[in-house]
Amino acid sequence: MAQGASFPYEEVAEIGGGAYGTVYKARDTESGKFVALKSVRVQTDQDGLPISTVREVALLKRLEQFDHPNVVRLMDVCAIQRTDSETKVTLVFEHVDQDLKTYLEKAPAPGLSQDRIKDLMRQLLCGLGFLHSNRVMHRDLKPENVLVTSGGQVKLADFGLARIYSCHMALTPVVVTLWYRPPEVLLGSSYATPVDIWSTGCIFAEMFRRKPLFCGESEMDQLGKIFQVIGLPSEEEWPKDVTITRKQFLPPNHPPITNFVPELSEQGAELLLEMLTFDPLQRISALNALEHEYLKEEETADTEGSTREGDAIP
Amino acid sequence: MTLVDDLASAAATGNTAGVEDLLRRGADVNGVNKYGRTPLQVMMMGSTPVARLLLARGSRPNVADSSTGTTPLHDAAREGFLDTLRVLLEFKADPGARDHFNSRPVDLARQSGHDDVVEFLKLLEEAN
Repeated sequence: MAQGASFPYEEVAEIGGGAYGTVYKARDTESGKFVALKSVRVQTDQDGLPISTVREVALLKRLEQFDHPNVVRLMDVCAIQRTDSETKVTLVFEHVDQDLKTYLEKAPAPGLSQDRIKDLMRQLLCGLGFLHSNRVMHRDLKPENVLVTSGGQVKLADFGLARIYSCHMALTPVVVTLWYRPPEVLLGSSYATPVDIWSTGCIFAEMFRRKPLFCGESEMDQLGKIFQVIGLPSEEEWPKDVTITRKQFLPPNHPPITNFVPELSEQGAELLLEMLTFDPLQRISALNALEHEYLKEEETADTEGSTREGDAIP
Repeated sequence: MTLVDDLASAAATGNTAGVEDLLRRGADVNGVNKYGRTPLQVMMMGSTPVARLLLARGSRPNVADSSTGTTPLHDAAREGFLDTLRVLLEFKADPGARDHFNSRPVDLARQSGHDDVVEFLKLLEEAN
């Protein structure tokens, strides 16, 4: 970690904030390119930075060595001591100047093609599979931090910070969107990497709908909206360690998923429901989702190509 | 946070509705935020709707970064966002602008391998 070394980054705008610190869009004055700066203030003592922070930063740096095409580059890490008891750790990330939200908004009616959606999903799952196999969960996946380059390459941002933040986060509640949160988080049960698959399922549906699938206004409202689509889970599936009870929800007659995502094929609907499975242990993994028939299906263009070739054979 | 700070942040996050709302509430489209930059200079380059909104409200297209001389057209060219680049040109952004490294937008597009942007800017040059 560079301590007080040269810092060629100039902040140009605030692009996110929270209890833990602020996220900036900045310019690297040496290359002229934009970067994203994420800072976290950590308490230090005579022994220096807490071991938990050092461990998390080391993990992010280790991930960086793989140079994975579907996660943003971590370009630099700087630690600047502010006072005797506080150090500011700044992570410098590659900044991709378009997110999936903007990308979907820009798509001309009637929206993205089936092939484009499949390609985006493959890249998203590939990035996620990489993070998960390195035991990193994202925990806050949403269209705003799924970035898309001008060439259509997907890059996940804002991963791996959750744990650094949560170690040092003040008790101030941060306003974060509920829309991509899985039931186990909303219920206050324990959670792990399947949280990101749930969020990916919500994003998958949104690629077709071009608007979010579950727009809850409170945690209970969010759960209610989820059960209207996936059905109320059975008493056996309901987690034992939570205070919210199953009886608080009406058992709705839930219509088929294709009512909410009309253009979805049969196999697409099957994959979506495997991602939106209530029980996190039964939910499909990123690597298994990549192997799903829906994503393995050949692109329409290829199929047409092979048909033409077939026709040419006498 | 002033209105311009908010407008710059909304532009930088590609928040079209937020930009519209702040402009309606009187945020100065050519004001600078506390980092000395205009909303157009910091906007999410892929967000063509935000670019169009700001420019249609009279945002000056050729304000260069004080440290690097980079204009929004340089940024759009380097990042390869042809759609935003075209909107900037429509509102009289200067394709001949040079940054402090003596590069024009077309040079940055070429360095980043955005052939479509390079081709477009070369055609434009020939046409003029």
